[in-house]
Amino acid sequence: MKVLDHLEEWIITFLIGAATLIIFVAVIHRYASGLPIPGLQDWLISLNFTWAQELCIYMFIWMAKFGAAYGVRTGIHVGVDVLVNRLPETWSKKFILAGLAGGVLFTALVGTLGWVFVWENGMHYAVYHALGIDSGDLPEGPTAPDLEWPTWIVYCAVPLGSYLMCFRFSQVAWHFAKRGELPHHDIAYVEGLGADEDVLAPRGGDAR
Amino acid sequence: MSADALGWARMTPVRAGRWLAGIVAALIAISLLGKVGFVFALLIALMLTGMPVSISLGLTVLTFLFTLTTVPIEAVALKLFTGIENFEIMAIPFFILAGNFLTHGGVARRMIDFATSMVGHWYGGLALAGVLACALFAAVSGSSPATVVAIGSILLPAMVKQGFPKRFGAGVITTSGALGILIPPSIVMVIYAVATSTSVGALFMAGVIPGIILATMLGITTWYRAWRNGYPRMPRATWAQRVRAFRRSMWGLALIAIVMGGIYSGIFTPTEAAAMSAVYAFVVAVFIYKDLPLRRVPKVLLDSANMSAMLLYIITNAVLFSFLMTHENIPQVMADWIINHQLGVVLFLLVVNVLLLLAGNVMEPSSIVLILAPILFPVAMKLGINPIHFGILMTVNMEVGMCHPPVGLNLYVASGITKMGITELTVAVLPWLFTMLVFLVLVTYVPAISLWLPRALGML
Repeated sequence: MKVLDHLEEWIITFLIGAATLIIFVAVIHRYASGLPIPGLQDWLISLNFTWAQELCIYMFIWMAKFGAAYGVRTGIHVGVDVLVNRLPETWSKKFILAGLAGGVLFTALVGTLGWVFVWENGMHYAVYHALGIDSGDLPEGPTAPDLEWPTWIVYCAVPLGSYLMCFRFSQVAWHFAKRGELPHHDIAYVEGLGADEDVLAPRGGDAR
Repeated sequence: MSADALGWARMTPVRAGRWLAGIVAALIAISLLGKVGFVFALLIALMLTGMPVSISLGLTVLTFLFTLTTVPIEAVALKLFTGIENFEIMAIPFFILAGNFLTHGGVARRMIDFATSMVGHWYGGLALAGVLACALFAAVSGSSPATVVAIGSILLPAMVKQGFPKRFGAGVITTSGALGILIPPSIVMVIYAVATSTSVGALFMAGVIPGIILATMLGITTWYRAWRNGYPRMPRATWAQRVRAFRRSMWGLALIAIVMGGIYSGIFTPTEAAAMSAVYAFVVAVFIYKDLPLRRVPKVLLDSANMSAMLLYIITNAVLFSFLMTHENIPQVMADWIINHQLGVVLFLLVVNVLLLLAGNVMEPSSIVLILAPILFPVAMKLGINPIHFGILMTVNMEVGMCHPPVGLNLYVASGITKMGITELTVAVLPWLFTMLVFLVLVTYVPAISLWLPRALGML
């Protein structure tokens, strides 16, 4: 379980960082290759960065799908809690559980829809091909325009991300049913901000 | 957010029962209006359970598709993939990342120093500097709550120490922080642009003048209240001090030139400008100001990814929802209805404002824009309202919505910083909230405020 948690965090951290760098390098490259420096210019022009935008989009889609699952764990997905919070304790518990069940249901549905779509748009062919089974007249499935990767691999983000999210929703619902705790995301908390402004002030909540 | 922490009592079972019965009755009444009514009743019912807005949107669409239409389910599956396959949307994660680097990287502190040296000696001293600092930070960050956090967590303790009442400080920062989404760059504007296919660049330019006007109006309110109550002032800074403060904050301020200059001159697309500003903010925070140690960078990346993923997830599901809306011709029907009843532009804009302010009571800005913009936009176009003007109008409405309860995001952030209850904060922001409402009327009925600059620059 710990491994999965860390893997999830590691993947989305890497994706956002790498996507930023790729676009940065692509923009620098576009302007640098316009500079008339002998040798360097030829080398820069020979590099091809047309795939950068597409790759960045795909990386962010993967980040969005896995990040959404991570977000369930950190409680960042906000809802309308005006009514629920004012209902009597036992009622609001039922409402929250119903909400979480909705999350489980939706992500399971989407995951399955996505799985069917991926399977029918190239994975079926690819798997049969790889196993040496005669695929008959199955279509090969489309490829991405610039990267020329089969799109079914890229689109795997949806079923994988949704099933992971489904798992996270179940996990949160289970915890809530047992202990009555929901993960809570605090936007106002910023690490290391304002701390050195008030070094002498007593730290809140420290009873010693 | 638990109700107890906010000082709201839970209802007794009898009262709660009446409320629920009333809501259910109202929803059934709405759903009897036909397919459209059913969609909205279902959406509202799901949202009221407190489930995430994104999930409610998605479940509504799926229910509708499975039961009431013949749209092939493959179309939905495809939309799930292609909904956010758009390079413009990718500006959002980049701007969030840039904002987080700026917040952690000491840029806000230097901007506050600069603002204090410029206006600190007037009535209202630090509070006035807070308005200016929020405006400056808004010009490099695209989010309101981030602006409140960045400026508020440094400035509010300092204000209390100087003898300002806590309420006054909280009121100033909560409302000035809302400038974050009006002064470009702005995440809400990117979302509007994506939802309605308008130009992000033109929207950004259109936000500049309204942003400056609102900052000035908030400043005047602050000054007046401080003058009336005799709040502390700072000693006047010498010009040498001002120049020094400016030079120290210059690295942060240069970002304004990179983003706005870059987009206007056509060097970058808005998304590229966002990526450049993220890298630039990283370099400034880690290597120039050295306020952010390298080992904390992965945490900043992770937090930004978390926030972006949440927004992108809402966007995916809202794209599905608006696909459903257009498939059922709902915006078209509404537009025809309004034109047949000869509701003029004036009345339509009034209705839009009220609707958006009401929605601002229960939802956060990105969801509102994503759900309502695709519906209201075609109507506005038929009435001949400029798309850019309409975008600014929606943005200002979102700003107001962020500063009043029950879901004003800025209020929650400020309450986290000041440890004040939401009720007390609501009273505290009233004078500035009123100023913002006056400004809203101004922006709604004087399109020139938003349209003059993009026109003068030839972007319209």
